[in-house]
Amino acid sequence: MNDYRYDHRTVQGFILSAIFWGVVGILVGLLISVQLWYPAANFPPYLTYGRLRPVHTNGLAFGLGVGAIFGLSFWMVMRLAKRPLLFPRLARVQLWLFNVGIAAAAVALLAGYTQSNEYAELEWPLDIAIVVLWVMFAVNILGTILKRREEQMYVSLWYIVATVVAVAVLYIVNNLAIPAGPMKSYHVFAGVNSANVQWWYGHNAVGFVFTTPILAMFYYFLPKATGLPIYSHRLSIVAFWSLVFAYLWTGAHHLVYSPLPDWLQTLGIVFTLFLIAPSWGSVVNGYYTVGQDWSKMRSNYLTKFFVLGITFYGLQTVQGPTQALRVVSQLIHFTDWVPGHVHMGTMGWVAMIVTASVYYVIPKIYGVQIHSERIANVHFWLVLVGQLLFSLTMWITGVRQGWMWKATDQDGKLVYQNFMDSLVGNYPFWQVRTVAGVVFTVGMLFFVYNVLMTIRKGRAFEAGRAAPVGPAAASTA
Amino acid sequence: MAGTIYRKPMTFAVAALVAVLVGSVATMAYPMLRADMHPKVEGLKPLSPLELAGRDIYQREGCMGCHTQMVRPLRSEVVRYGGMRSPEPAGRYSIAGEFAYDHPFLWGSKRTGPDLAFEGWLKPAAWHAAHFKNPQAVVPRSNMPAYAFLEGRLLDGAEMQAHMRALRVVGVPYADEDIAKAPAALLGKTEMDGLVAYVISLGKAVDRGTRAVVEARLDLQNPVAGNAAAVAKGKTLYADNCAACHGDAAEGTPEVAPSLVDDVFLEVKGDMPDAAYITVVKGGSDAKKALGRPGFKEGGMPAFSGQLSDEEIWSIIAWLRERKAHPTGGK
Repeated sequence: MNDYRYDHRTVQGFILSAIFWGVVGILVGLLISVQLWYPAANFPPYLTYGRLRPVHTNGLAFGLGVGAIFGLSFWMVMRLAKRPLLFPRLARVQLWLFNVGIAAAAVALLAGYTQSNEYAELEWPLDIAIVVLWVMFAVNILGTILKRREEQMYVSLWYIVATVVAVAVLYIVNNLAIPAGPMKSYHVFAGVNSANVQWWYGHNAVGFVFTTPILAMFYYFLPKATGLPIYSHRLSIVAFWSLVFAYLWTGAHHLVYSPLPDWLQTLGIVFTLFLIAPSWGSVVNGYYTVGQDWSKMRSNYLTKFFVLGITFYGLQTVQGPTQALRVVSQLIHFTDWVPGHVHMGTMGWVAMIVTASVYYVIPKIYGVQIHSERIANVHFWLVLVGQLLFSLTMWITGVRQGWMWKATDQDGKLVYQNFMDSLVGNYPFWQVRTVAGVVFTVGMLFFVYNVLMTIRKGRAFEAGRAAPVGPAAASTA
Repeated sequence: MAGTIYRKPMTFAVAALVAVLVGSVATMAYPMLRADMHPKVEGLKPLSPLELAGRDIYQREGCMGCHTQMVRPLRSEVVRYGGMRSPEPAGRYSIAGEFAYDHPFLWGSKRTGPDLAFEGWLKPAAWHAAHFKNPQAVVPRSNMPAYAFLEGRLLDGAEMQAHMRALRVVGVPYADEDIAKAPAALLGKTEMDGLVAYVISLGKAVDRGTRAVVEARLDLQNPVAGNAAAVAKGKTLYADNCAACHGDAAEGTPEVAPSLVDDVFLEVKGDMPDAAYITVVKGGSDAKKALGRPGFKEGGMPAFSGQLSDEEIWSIIAWLRERKAHPTGGK
């Protein structure tokens, strides 16, 4: 046994906070999915689609995503450094500030305070709070790694360090703004330049919130959960460096056919295509790792979360570059195809890996087994079906809509001149999407229940272990 | 061994930072130094205080969650989103220099509703006011939320002055005088006024002049009058181009656009010949003077001369004539 204690309470605090904000974000997502086909579900001024959409995206990216990244990174760093956090009390303060910050962000967004850049909506006072949070996180992560008791840094630590560094650069640059009031500011960048900075940020928010930290979890928790070592260390090195290098060049693929200079668009597209290689480096590594013993798919309930997660990551990282191609972009850009793509990444890749990691961590904290593997299996199948139904529906209607917008007759006249023709055709698809969202949500609620029951079981187990100690210890002493 | 970097966290962190910065400098920082990232079309004007207030509301309400403001250089988009209605004869798509004062850009990433880049050329203020208040009353199956609450909220001149000053810091050329005059310009104006003013300013930041004045030649005869094929074609064209404002059956929309099937023409009782109709359709509200009638006070009929051919406009008029002959279609 180790002669020191890990800061499990903080890790669990972040995990439970992430789960709470995740449930909020998912329920908001359900509401806005209904608003798209049933406008009476808007309740102006606060609960309209326009104000709620950023609550959904920020709630899940920052509340669930970053919350889970904080908690699970602390877990991984402590284990891989073989020591507790360097500043455990700072981590506690960070946990409280995180929750206050997310709550304030949600209220501010509902009140209409927004910079209106995607994933950088929060106004300047909240931006400052987020920078403070990130500095606290960085100090603890880097400090703990510096004072580690294990010489070699495992691949998960590389991804965590890269996340810490990259997010800091991205967030600060894109949020440079001149305040015009207590909750209003204007981006210092204008026009095409503003667009270029925003999508440099926006695409890399995906890269360094939804990719690198999730890969850190994948490389750590897959071997831990299955007992199978990572297939190739060399491949993980090549994939890591090429990924963190190439990602930053690709933002312009969000601006294909925009007034952004063509050379920047083309550069973005080329690097986006290159990005398939490092992404698939991790996919191949993941597959070959489980390939050492495929029977783990049956014998270990967590294996399938990791395998399906990395599968969706692989699909995501081929579909994304495809979308960057000009000929594809002109058809699907601005349509539902893109939310279909995003939700495969978040519901298929991020949610799979994060929930599996939490399933691994929570029982370990208490030294118990998961409350119910059967419930975990039900959770798995529901989120899988919900996500597939969601994404497939959006891809179909995205192509349909893009085609209706483009269709011209032999005289060059629009076939569907009235925009409403394509819009009302979306409604049935959007209703199916709501159903898909309900299926996914029910799956996630099974997950939440399972985690809470495991904690309850763990606490009872701890209490049971502690109880005999008192009198028994006294009598023997 | 190259492997030592994995034993030196600070060296590793610096290496990761460098890896991240190379692409950031190449594609984000370096372009800022280039002129092609800072173009400005000649004659670009900053938004007026009222329009700026509207833009702030556009941001606050998250309009960019559903509406783009960027017409791509694709024929279908130029035609669909009003590029053919601006005065340039060949039509236009969005160009970089139009956005020089946009802090931040509001191009959006999703078109749940239509693009608004050239909305100023498409629909009049009255249409927007009615539509914001109750979108479904104007566009029956729309999924847009209602923004009637904007009507009851007065704009704050002092707040807008602060916004203009902040924008001046980042490079929008507001003069002291512009800022000083803002409260007077906003006096008694509501948030609804601001949002409408902003939306109808879109695509009009630059004075592109107006279309050549359409001459009123009342001697012209409708070459397809009564032609059944033309009437059928006119019906379709009407639905696509006119119904949004004038109603599906040309009965008009209160407060937005007049009936086309009664015997009132440009607010004066007594119909006019087909030639007067084509004059208004081609020239928009600007043609009213040529016809000597006042027209709808808030009228903002767009000019269709770049959008529809003469023959197509005659077809629409032929269809309207059929409807007028119908017993329910007028007096």
